[in-house]
Amino acid sequence: MLVEESIRSAISSIKTNGVRSFLTALAIIIGTAAVISVIGIGSSAEKALEASIDDLGPRTLSIFPSQRKRGGIASGFNPLVIKDAEALAKNNEHNWLIAPAMSGNRQIKYKNSNMNGEINGYLPVNFEVRGFDIGSGRLFTEKENLGRKRVIILGSKVPGELKTSAREILNKDILIAGTSYTVIGVLKEEGSTGWQNPDDDLYVPLLTAAQRIFGTDRLGWINVGISNDTNVDYVMMTIEQILRQKHDIGPGGENDFRINDWSQFSDLRRQATGIFTALIAGIAGISLIVGGIGVMNIMLVSVTERTREIGLRKALGATQKSIMMQFIIEAVLLCILGGLLGIFIGVSLLYLFTSLNDWIFYMPLSAVFGSITFCALVGLFFGIWPAKRAAKLDPAVSLRYE
Amino acid sequence: MIIKTEALTKHYQVGSEKVEALKGITFSVERGEFISIMGPSGSGKTTLMNIIGCLDTPTNGTYFLNNKPVSELTDDELAHIRNDEIGFVFQSFHLLARNSALENVMLPLKYAGENKKNAIIRSNEALDKVGLSDRSSHSPSELSGGQQQRVAIARALVNKPSILFADEPTGNLDSKTGEDVMNLFKELNDNGQTIILITHEDSIAQQSKRIITIMDGLIKSDIKE
Repeated sequence: MLVEESIRSAISSIKTNGVRSFLTALAIIIGTAAVISVIGIGSSAEKALEASIDDLGPRTLSIFPSQRKRGGIASGFNPLVIKDAEALAKNNEHNWLIAPAMSGNRQIKYKNSNMNGEINGYLPVNFEVRGFDIGSGRLFTEKENLGRKRVIILGSKVPGELKTSAREILNKDILIAGTSYTVIGVLKEEGSTGWQNPDDDLYVPLLTAAQRIFGTDRLGWINVGISNDTNVDYVMMTIEQILRQKHDIGPGGENDFRINDWSQFSDLRRQATGIFTALIAGIAGISLIVGGIGVMNIMLVSVTERTREIGLRKALGATQKSIMMQFIIEAVLLCILGGLLGIFIGVSLLYLFTSLNDWIFYMPLSAVFGSITFCALVGLFFGIWPAKRAAKLDPAVSLRYE
Repeated sequence: MIIKTEALTKHYQVGSEKVEALKGITFSVERGEFISIMGPSGSGKTTLMNIIGCLDTPTNGTYFLNNKPVSELTDDELAHIRNDEIGFVFQSFHLLARNSALENVMLPLKYAGENKKNAIIRSNEALDKVGLSDRSSHSPSELSGGQQQRVAIARALVNKPSILFADEPTGNLDSKTGEDVMNLFKELNDNGQTIILITHEDSIAQQSKRIITIMDGLIKSDIKE
């Protein structure tokens, strides 16, 4: 019953001095809101990253062209070409999917609508590697690729951009630089991966793109889809071997391409995000400590104001322990209430931020419970000294305190 | 014997000056007595009440309460004794403003560790004893001065103390309600309650059965009816 009495007394004290309690808890509220929203944004970013990695299919390596160096000096640019991809595809030592691609922006016209869109030259296998699914219509075939057919697949948002709908534009022609292409399919919505949005893009067969649109056999990149149990180092070695041979790089010469392992990249990015989140959350956490000092200050004032009450409680039989408990509970309660309000504000900010930026809303519960616990600890730590002062008051003197 | 003191002294250090508030008080109190302790301000009567009320400890001398030596107990041991053995009534009532009359009366029982159900029953009985059972849910501000003091008396009685201490209990009351409170004390005393009254008013002191007068830290007179 004593604990109940302490809690009731704490609530009524906080309520009676409502404005003062609020101002005291303000630093705690702001601190918790900051910690919660920062951790939330960090976690949501990580979720978005994970989702985009998942979008790349089971596991994907990407090969990009890069500067060729001889003796440390850049000596021109050796592109990746379709033949390189073919050489890789010919290798049957690995069970991999070779997905070469090229891309560029072109003006697109349908009826009276115009848009500037990113056109990708893809093989049918590219869709598999990226995990894209067809929403309506169909994918193009290897035969259409080899025949350089003028067929095109649209990202899910493209029909809207062209002021029409997927159903309406299917099997119609659109114009790219004056040449007509037949829309044979529209993709399902894939969602942004963070650095590109496949829903805004258009996809034509690779050879069609090479010959009819871009007029080059230079590739933008080659994605290599591998299963999760593949020995990545070995795969990378094989790629290197084949491409060095194709590019005629002698022993000691540097690669004129680079291979990205996205999962490694995502690990790095996750680490960086984690460090950054921890740093900002830590700085915000300092404001909780500052808030704790404010709570201590107001608790000291409260002890002085309530000297007579403390004297009376001691006269009626309150021990030092029970007086201490009463004031510690008050400090802890003040901090927890501040923390709860801060969490509410922090989560609201996170919700606002994620919905404005089209992110996944994700708030780890551990952060919520963690910050409440931290607030309670702040209250406990900074409540002890004032509570001790209250407990040590001389009942005979404090009863007559004016 | 409820109270037995032997050469109680109390010294204070006020700045560089040493104040001897009590210079050797020896007296005893039997169960069922109704005593007034009188004396002008500065005589040491408040210091004496603090010590025999276990709110303070003497510098020297011994004090037995119910045959227990209490002069050298720790703070918390004194708290338990105050809770168990002593009921206080103060001049300024000392009620918690945000609590109802019933909750105020329950307070000592909470510190005694009584369970809530029993605490409510016993507190209602105590309020009944002072004639305020119909005011239990009122807050102090909704009660008159006399009613507030009666709530305070109920609070002092709720733990069935050996001694009821009242420090100028009528000091903040008009003469009519002051008289009511005194009548309540007499009634309680008639039922066996030991009462010690601290007052400087002769008319109040005259209503008790024994008057101890303190002057300059010493007992000047001890007159039984």
